[in-house]
Amino acid sequence: MLETFTPAVCGSRKRQIAGQSLFAVSAVVTSAALGLLLGLAGSMLGAEQAVLGAAALALVAAAREAGLIRFSIPQARRQVPEHWRFELPLPVWASGYGAGLGAGFFTYQPISTFWVACAGALALAQPVPAALCVSLYGAGRALMVVWPRRRSDDPTAAVERLTSRRGTLLRANVVALVACGVLLAVAPAAGAGVTRIAQNAYDPTVDRGTIAFATAGGNVIVRPVGGGEITYPGATGPSLSGPYLAYRDSAGIRVVRWADGTEVRRIASPYVSKPALDWPRLAFVRRASPYDRLYVRNLTSSKVTLYATVRLPTDLGRPSLRHGRLAWHTATRRESKITVVTLASGARRTMARTRIGLLGNPSVYRTKVVWVDARFGVTFLKQGWLTSSRRVVLARIKSRTVSYWTTSVASNAAYMTRWVMPTAHTDVYRRTP
Amino acid sequence: MQQPEGTRLDRQAERLSAKLAESQTRKSFLGRLGAAALAIAGGSAVAAAVKPDEADAFHLCGHIWTTGSCPSPYPPLARIDRKGFPLHPSSGRPIDNLGRIVDSAGYALDGNGKRLRGPDGAVLAPGPRTRVCEDWTREVKGLRDLRIQGSWYRCCGGQIRKLTDCCSFSRRRINGDASLVGYCWGGRRVYCVMYYDTGLPC
Repeated sequence: MLETFTPAVCGSRKRQIAGQSLFAVSAVVTSAALGLLLGLAGSMLGAEQAVLGAAALALVAAAREAGLIRFSIPQARRQVPEHWRFELPLPVWASGYGAGLGAGFFTYQPISTFWVACAGALALAQPVPAALCVSLYGAGRALMVVWPRRRSDDPTAAVERLTSRRGTLLRANVVALVACGVLLAVAPAAGAGVTRIAQNAYDPTVDRGTIAFATAGGNVIVRPVGGGEITYPGATGPSLSGPYLAYRDSAGIRVVRWADGTEVRRIASPYVSKPALDWPRLAFVRRASPYDRLYVRNLTSSKVTLYATVRLPTDLGRPSLRHGRLAWHTATRRESKITVVTLASGARRTMARTRIGLLGNPSVYRTKVVWVDARFGVTFLKQGWLTSSRRVVLARIKSRTVSYWTTSVASNAAYMTRWVMPTAHTDVYRRTP
Repeated sequence: MQQPEGTRLDRQAERLSAKLAESQTRKSFLGRLGAAALAIAGGSAVAAAVKPDEADAFHLCGHIWTTGSCPSPYPPLARIDRKGFPLHPSSGRPIDNLGRIVDSAGYALDGNGKRLRGPDGAVLAPGPRTRVCEDWTREVKGLRDLRIQGSWYRCCGGQIRKLTDCCSFSRRRINGDASLVGYCWGGRRVYCVMYYDTGLPC
């Protein structure tokens, strides 16, 4: 490539600089686009699952580069098509070479670090940061075209000097890969982003990007993906499901189309509360003292199924219903636990149980379950999976007076109410991977 | 002349507690005996007979040995009531597992003594309140054989403090090193310690 970008090949010194610039821009843009796609894919897959894979890959790559293990890495053992520069105009072939090398997949890879970078971008699960990170690979490609010429007219001498330090560079690469592996391994806890999305708000509910929450003023606010806000006065306990919103008002539970407020269903009873909607199913708690009972009603067939009964003052918490699974918490003076039922099969699973903490307000999304685990002086937002025993801490508060309250979970983010007990102030936060 | 019932009981309690005070060996049965004396006599007779000094402490008043406190809402002050449930270290009021002061029905109270309400305005349901030895230490340390066994007494803050061993068959104590028999019996050893302030002056 060094011999390609010479005044002789390009036609003049000016054309050489133009060619190098186009190559550099193209390499950086292509690698950034690659990072963007990987970050996007990571956000759709769920970053928590990708981070540990990337960490493992980095460590395996470090072992390979250190000569501890041997295996082939996927690569196209080709160079850029030489005939381009004879057949195509300089802007096209220079940009084409930059794109080919910047993408990384279409050329020789002497070391496995590129693949670790790709895995890291996937694990970031955020398209723009991933694009910025991977664009450094393209910048590196561009640098190797420009840098050897900075002192000498004979760039091959600079390359030979670099080659003579190959051993040092490989060792530095091993160290960098090990550092990447370690950093990625601790990333789920350290790199989490927690941002406030609503003040004086609680009880978040999220579906397909639309978020709704209750406010301290006694309203429910819906924030659609497209922007704007829709307010439902005199309402609490919102639950979104597609175009529908369930909430509690003074007359019972109301289900509406949140876009225009059209009422779809109503359960008229002052004793029902805590709706959780997964259209056409609605979970709710009915109080018939001294018992609280958790039901799921099919709003199209009117079939009602009982899932839990507790004797007061046992706490039967706000349920969560999504993708055919129902989650709720119970807390007695002896213990608290999180239970998830698969409605189709009736299979029950206790996600968490403790005698020394207070587990509450779970949310379910496919196989993910998020809940609040309050302990002495610290409150955790935890996530588990129905398919494994793995648990991760998404967020934590070290305080005796500040705690998390209700939750909601989506494909790539968890939402929670942060509650300051002495002032009763609440805000809704989003935790992204 | 027949003595009043209360005076006779006090004298019996005094004899029992004097025997306790004279015997300074760390034998487990004496701890039990002491607990029985306190429970039966429950008054000034025991306090007068024990005549303890203010006890030096490693990490809490009255504890002159090195075993650490059991896990509790306010570590390392594992203050318990007579049934082993947690109390607030300074006020002595019942607390739940989150360290919140609770009323007799188990409801958490706010700073004004009213039942704590959630963000939605509803009174919070009672949270778990479980025993420091059998529940807390069991869950935190994964030991299933924990029992409250031996105990001994010291003077702390002008009142008699009952220090209690949480005992296990484990040969390691909460500190991570080898455990001592202490006041435990039946093959158990001291895993961690708690205390109960009796309220009896000393």
